[in-house]
Amino acid sequence: MTGVVNADSVTKRYGEVLGLNRFTASFPSGITGLVGPNGAGKSTLFRLLAGQLRSDAGSLTLLGFPAWGQGEFRRRVGYCPEHAALFDWMTGFDFVTTLLRVDGFSRANAQERAGRAIETVGLTEARDRRLKAYSKGMRQRIKLAQCIAHDPELILLDEPLNGVDPVGRATLSALMRQLSTTGHHLIVSSHVLYEVERLTGQIVMISHGQAIAQGDLHRIRDLIDSHPHMVDLETPDPRGLARLLGAWDHVVSIEFAGPEKLRVLTRSPEAFYAALPALVVTENLAVRSVHSADDNLDAVFRYLAGGGR
Amino acid sequence: MSISAPRYGAAPVARTGRIHRTLAIVHRELLRRAGLGTILVLALTYLAVTLVLTINTDFASLTGSLTLATFETPYASPAWPFLMLIVATSVGAGSLAEDVGNRSITLYFSRPIRRIDYLAAKTAATGTWMVIAAVGPALLGLAVILALGWAPASLVLAGAGAFVATGLLASVFFTGLALALSSLTTRSLYAGVAIFGVVLSLEIGAPLVSGLTGNSSAAYASPITDILSVAQSAFGISGPFATDPLTSAALLAFGGGLLAIFAGWRISRVEVVGE
Repeated sequence: MTGVVNADSVTKRYGEVLGLNRFTASFPSGITGLVGPNGAGKSTLFRLLAGQLRSDAGSLTLLGFPAWGQGEFRRRVGYCPEHAALFDWMTGFDFVTTLLRVDGFSRANAQERAGRAIETVGLTEARDRRLKAYSKGMRQRIKLAQCIAHDPELILLDEPLNGVDPVGRATLSALMRQLSTTGHHLIVSSHVLYEVERLTGQIVMISHGQAIAQGDLHRIRDLIDSHPHMVDLETPDPRGLARLLGAWDHVVSIEFAGPEKLRVLTRSPEAFYAALPALVVTENLAVRSVHSADDNLDAVFRYLAGGGR
Repeated sequence: MSISAPRYGAAPVARTGRIHRTLAIVHRELLRRAGLGTILVLALTYLAVTLVLTINTDFASLTGSLTLATFETPYASPAWPFLMLIVATSVGAGSLAEDVGNRSITLYFSRPIRRIDYLAAKTAATGTWMVIAAVGPALLGLAVILALGWAPASLVLAGAGAFVATGLLASVFFTGLALALSSLTTRSLYAGVAIFGVVLSLEIGAPLVSGLTGNSSAAYASPITDILSVAQSAFGISGPFATDPLTSAALLAFGGGLLAIFAGWRISRVEVVGE
């Protein structure tokens, strides 16, 4: 295997539970999407790659180095974890600067890079605010800033768009594409296939700790299309948003799932995700978060894992 | 015309060495623990120790009984080891436990920082706070005495040496204990309770065992007794001591070091498991 990241029969157990089960895949250069439902083993793989976990069996390398440990090669890797407490008593700027200094940058260089990374993720106005005052979307952005600030060759992004508002998603997706055009290698995990599809055609699908498909995304697209896609939206005006979404012909149903929560079922997620940011901007809507449930994908994963039965 | 994938071509940047990277964590840790509670406890300690030292010295010089032992007063009472216990709990209990518990350790371990450097940074930060609490107040008190001219400089210098020696030993032990217990859990509360539990159990248990078995060496098991013996000896007080001061000093240093090594062993194996 000659990928940027190579996994050969990697197994990771949490007691009786199998996190990864003889996972074998090769992640080539450019952007690769790691797609799978929640609990499939995506975060376990990322933690193994980030040197947080030690595999029980198999071989896992990134940039040619064994994944376990904190060697100097780590400066060539950026990691944006899905769940990690930030240093809440710090400002966003101090947070990124501190981690850059741990990376080995001088104070002046770290401050300069931190400012640039924060600007890249669109948080310049909030950079001097304490992290505890950041929204979920802002926290995702600042995590991304610390991940890219040292200009790493390999960038590991674990569910980077989770909890980010629609406009933010578009911005961050554009940033990821831009990074790939400058030769950075990105591995982006998501339980939402459509998010990944807009970034890359190169994917690894994971289910129950095993790689069940790898390669061109378009080959499995047809399987996905037959399943309606569920999207949860958080907004202070669910009725107003529901009225606008109801006019879209691919929207199958709309459910008020909470006082400020809307659950939408769409036949064409691609069209939905493409049109939503424009709707938010033109109608001046406040959509706080967009979350895609993965129930529909489960069916596809079961299908693939079952060998097409 | 040929088409090829873009190549990563960021220019290499000069990086600082391991020590600077470790110091970056120390700096962050020192700031992290500089909360209002810690500052308040320290301010009260500095004030109390300075007052006790100066009043005692003034009284002793008036009565003509000023000796090195005069300076021992703040360290003579068990209140001082208990203060160390409080500081160790507030700055050390969460040192490792919090990072593992809330997974912020992830942010460090994905960087080119060795686990041993991470632990060294945590030890240095906790140790610094312990020294600030253990030695700082007495040195301030002595500086005031020297400035007021209430004691000869040679005596003040000897007193400073005694405070530094005793304070450093106590700091080494409590730092090691706090880190070791912090490495055993993911909750700082549990580590804090454990620090108090261990020290108080030994303080109560050691004399009991000593009394029941008739074996006086059991007294060495109590770190507070060890610290008080070392302090009394350092300030020139003649015995008898509850424990031999030299043996106690060695036990405190060795115990603290051993506990820190244990914390290092734990950290070298820690895995950050998700939800």
